[in-house]
Amino acid sequence: METMDREATQTAPAGPACEASDLDAADAVVVARGITRDYGEGDAAVHALRGVDVDMVRGRLTAIMGPSGSGKSTLMHILAGLDEPTAGTVEVDGIEITSLKERELTQLRRDKIGFIFQTLNLLPTLTAQENIELPMTIAGRKGDGQWVGQLIDTVGLADRLDHKPAELSGGQQQRVAVARALVGRPAVLFADEPTGNLDSKTGDQVLDLLRRSVDDFGQTIVMVTHDAHAASIADRLLFLHDGRIVYDCGRMARDEIFEVIKSLEDRR
Amino acid sequence: MIRIAWRSLLAHKLRSFLTALAILLGVAMISGTYVFTDQISRAFDEIYSEAFKGTDVTITRTSSFSSDYGAAVGGLPESMVEDVRAVDGVKEANGYISGMGAIAVDGEVVETGGSPTLFFSYVPSAMSATSYVEGDPPTKPGEIAVVKGLAEDEGLGIGSPVTVIADTGTYETRVSGVFTFASESSLGGSLLLNTTFEDGQLWFDLDGQVSEIDVTAADGVSPDALATRLRAALPEEADVKTGEQAAADASQQISDALGTFINPVLLSLGGVAVLVGAFIIFNAFSMTVAQRRREFALLRALGALRRQVMWSITGEALVMGVLASVLGLVVGMGFAAGVNALMKALNVDIPTSSLVMQPRTVIVGLVVGISITLLSAVVPALRATRVPPVAALQEGATLPAARYSRFTPYVAAAVAALGVLGMVNGMYGVGSTTQRLLAMAVGAVLLFVAVAMLSKYFVAPVAGFIGWPLTRVAKTSGRLARDNSMRNPARTAATASALMIGLGVVVFVAVFAQGLKSSFVDGFDQVVRADYVVAATNYLTLPGDTARRLEYVPAVDTSAGVNIQVVQTGGAKKTTTTLNGVEPSTFSKVWSFDWIEGDDTVLPKLGTDGALLEEQTARSLGVKVGDSFSVQSPEGEKAGFEVRGIYRDPMMLVGITVGDAAYDRLSPRSQLYMVLVTATGAQGADKAALEGALADVPTADVMTAAEYKDMMVGSINQLLNLLYGLLAMSVIISLFGIVNTLVLSVYERTREIGLLRAIGASRRQIRRSVRYESVITSVIGGVLGILVGIVFAYVVTTRFGGMGIKFSVPGAQLVVFLVIAVVVGVLAAILPARRAARIDILEAIHYE
Repeated sequence: METMDREATQTAPAGPACEASDLDAADAVVVARGITRDYGEGDAAVHALRGVDVDMVRGRLTAIMGPSGSGKSTLMHILAGLDEPTAGTVEVDGIEITSLKERELTQLRRDKIGFIFQTLNLLPTLTAQENIELPMTIAGRKGDGQWVGQLIDTVGLADRLDHKPAELSGGQQQRVAVARALVGRPAVLFADEPTGNLDSKTGDQVLDLLRRSVDDFGQTIVMVTHDAHAASIADRLLFLHDGRIVYDCGRMARDEIFEVIKSLEDRR
Repeated sequence: MIRIAWRSLLAHKLRSFLTALAILLGVAMISGTYVFTDQISRAFDEIYSEAFKGTDVTITRTSSFSSDYGAAVGGLPESMVEDVRAVDGVKEANGYISGMGAIAVDGEVVETGGSPTLFFSYVPSAMSATSYVEGDPPTKPGEIAVVKGLAEDEGLGIGSPVTVIADTGTYETRVSGVFTFASESSLGGSLLLNTTFEDGQLWFDLDGQVSEIDVTAADGVSPDALATRLRAALPEEADVKTGEQAAADASQQISDALGTFINPVLLSLGGVAVLVGAFIIFNAFSMTVAQRRREFALLRALGALRRQVMWSITGEALVMGVLASVLGLVVGMGFAAGVNALMKALNVDIPTSSLVMQPRTVIVGLVVGISITLLSAVVPALRATRVPPVAALQEGATLPAARYSRFTPYVAAAVAALGVLGMVNGMYGVGSTTQRLLAMAVGAVLLFVAVAMLSKYFVAPVAGFIGWPLTRVAKTSGRLARDNSMRNPARTAATASALMIGLGVVVFVAVFAQGLKSSFVDGFDQVVRADYVVAATNYLTLPGDTARRLEYVPAVDTSAGVNIQVVQTGGAKKTTTTLNGVEPSTFSKVWSFDWIEGDDTVLPKLGTDGALLEEQTARSLGVKVGDSFSVQSPEGEKAGFEVRGIYRDPMMLVGITVGDAAYDRLSPRSQLYMVLVTATGAQGADKAALEGALADVPTADVMTAAEYKDMMVGSINQLLNLLYGLLAMSVIISLFGIVNTLVLSVYERTREIGLLRAIGASRRQIRRSVRYESVITSVIGGVLGILVGIVFAYVVTTRFGGMGIKFSVPGAQLVVFLVIAVVVGVLAAILPARRAARIDILEAIHYE
């Protein structure tokens, strides 16, 4: 079975080389082994992931990159418990999640995982402050006021707290989303194209915020992006192609990232 | 989570308002009904307790049975007043006469719109509830006093002439005084007149009798104790009650009358409105859940449990239900005031007191409003919980199908089966009338729901069919409208269903009424041989000698009257029915019996012990020709009869028909309902002659047979119009439902509409496509409603065929209803179409 051939998936193909990440895989928040994901059956089956092993290191920012259709979004959905793999196991903060029931998964998302999406991160009817506190509202917990205050300061929206999302710019909305994702101190924060809808200036503010949350608060972040500039803030970069991880690199400059992307696109 | 619900309501004010309006109007109708009928009951409570205030004990003639028709009983012997005075503990006892009739001023009968004209003899006593504000009580024969309201309306003063039409004839009187009764200047719509005791006896055929004896107790004797003593002292025919009891009984009678007719009718109409509202709420919530799919996905991704998503939607429904119901109660007060105004406009004068909202009204209104809103939101809320968290990351994904949606046809079939069961049980089952009617109503509701559930399967082809001509009229807009209405069949189906229910009930009523009218007309044509019908206005009876007097008119060939009273049949199964008294020798000349057994020759031989039975009565008594049965009059007179013939006549002479002699034995008092006349000459001349002969009886209305038919059909029509007026509410609610659906689907399609505009569609084309979509939806609802209404009417009329109601479809009216459906569609589209046309192209294309 080709999809189960782990050896093949971990072998870097010919192309531009990168410096392998020197991160200690022993301290991993997310541990995935042998992840495959097929859509459909028989001849019409699409193999979105063909056997992926990956460890997301605690307190680091990992970027998942790859051309569209490479399986990067599917991988993130599976790591976050939003989708089920066809085969393989995923552990989040020591909990095996692929066998969890729907209710336990919900509990997991509530307690261990934070999300930032490309768009529609906020409930349009709630104010910025209410949106930030939303995870606590959902969990029925009293928020840590000091932590919330610190987050608000960090994202720099103290004067915008009473505004509804429609009254905020795209960048401000996304900063609210970051604060919202951090408020529950999740074990891991998944960001799906967090700057995809922003111009470069406001995008930089959001990236800066993500970087600082790793450096200052020790937050673990997994970011899916196709933007080389965004990926350049990552401690580690994973490149997917055709359902496999083809590069696993340490910090890279924007030009180096471009080069890898270009080589992957040429392969199609 | 409730905050999220609350915010969502506030953020979508128009949608929330339109949705809430649906439930608000339903609650308003229900609570308004209670407020309306409560105020009537209360008004009568006040009047009766005032009327009986000074009376400790009241004595009337015992009625041998109670009946819905208010069986009339005669009086007590005048000598009984002395017997009462002789009882220890009686301080004062007075007998007086009361009776119903009519009055005429300047030859014109004073119309009361159905309320009675009541005469009672003046009693000079502190007990009397009358107090004179002008002139004096009548003391001499031919004097009369009138209630203040009547004096004002008719411009009567002391000495004004008033014609009295009573049981025994017509009398000329003069006004001696003006009074108020129980501090009221009028008693509802009824006219009150004071007579002298002797005139009362003469006018109402109560020679040597009194209608009622009112008693006050001596000091230290309680009314209860006195009543007990009187009961012991008087014969069985005397019905002794304390004043308090009599007041309570009298006002209970009013409440019962309201409770058996007005309340159920108005409440059912309110129920229809609520049901229509339920569909609209269901639809509104279904659509907003679909639109807010990504919001729910976000909540789920952030760790919200399914239960919490469920709560946020039901919470929204709860808040909406509470607000709408509370507002509904307020509007209900207005509804009651509106019905008051309507009654006044229709000349139905009812006594009113201040509008009161009783705890029961509040409870029923809130419970119905809130529970219906919640129930309607449950299914959409369940669907929202099925949104997977991953949907937050995907654009354009559709709402997952409900888990059990593939069972929908089976569930619908089960619901339909239950509905049929309910209706069958209602029609053929056991239990009281109320239970059976309830079973039928529940059955009908379930059938409506089943049709609505199934309609999503056939709504697309139907929309395609109905939309086809529109695609011819306007190519682009028509095509768009048709496709849009077929795009989401479930939504179109639910929107159309709301209108289906309202129109379905309208059509049912229309078909049923049409059956009633045509059965009446057919029945009348079949049995009535007479050229003229003489009947009394104001629901009165004619003077007993009317038929005899008309015989002397030269042009008259035959003149025969029909007396009608309520009797109770004897035997194991006591049922109340009507007893018709006719002149045996002449009646067959004016009346053509539809004989099942027997023929016209049995009529002259009826004697005092022969009876003819209408088919239905014969069946319910279980008797055949030759069998015997007995009846009892309200006064307690009994008589046995032998069945001599059986005829079919479900509309006119229902019950038992006997000869005048037998009739008089059971009831000495005249109850002449109508007189049938065959004439020899030209119609115009004859009518003038008949009217001339009855010039002194202003209440007598001489009509040709055709005019009489028209009058009866007219009174059915009047009732029908009232029902239509109230049912219009349901249709209006469903109109709001269509507005709501269109507003939401225009909002959903903002981007699409922007695109259409960008590539050159004109505002007019956009407006038109919305309008056509609206019309397609409303016509589907209209057609479904008409079909369902016809089926219901068919089932019900078939079942009650024995009662003489035929199944007859009023074709022209159905066309009118269809036109109404189209109009509803056009009206509903006004606002949404304008919104759609005003969409800014640039904004729409960037719209997320």
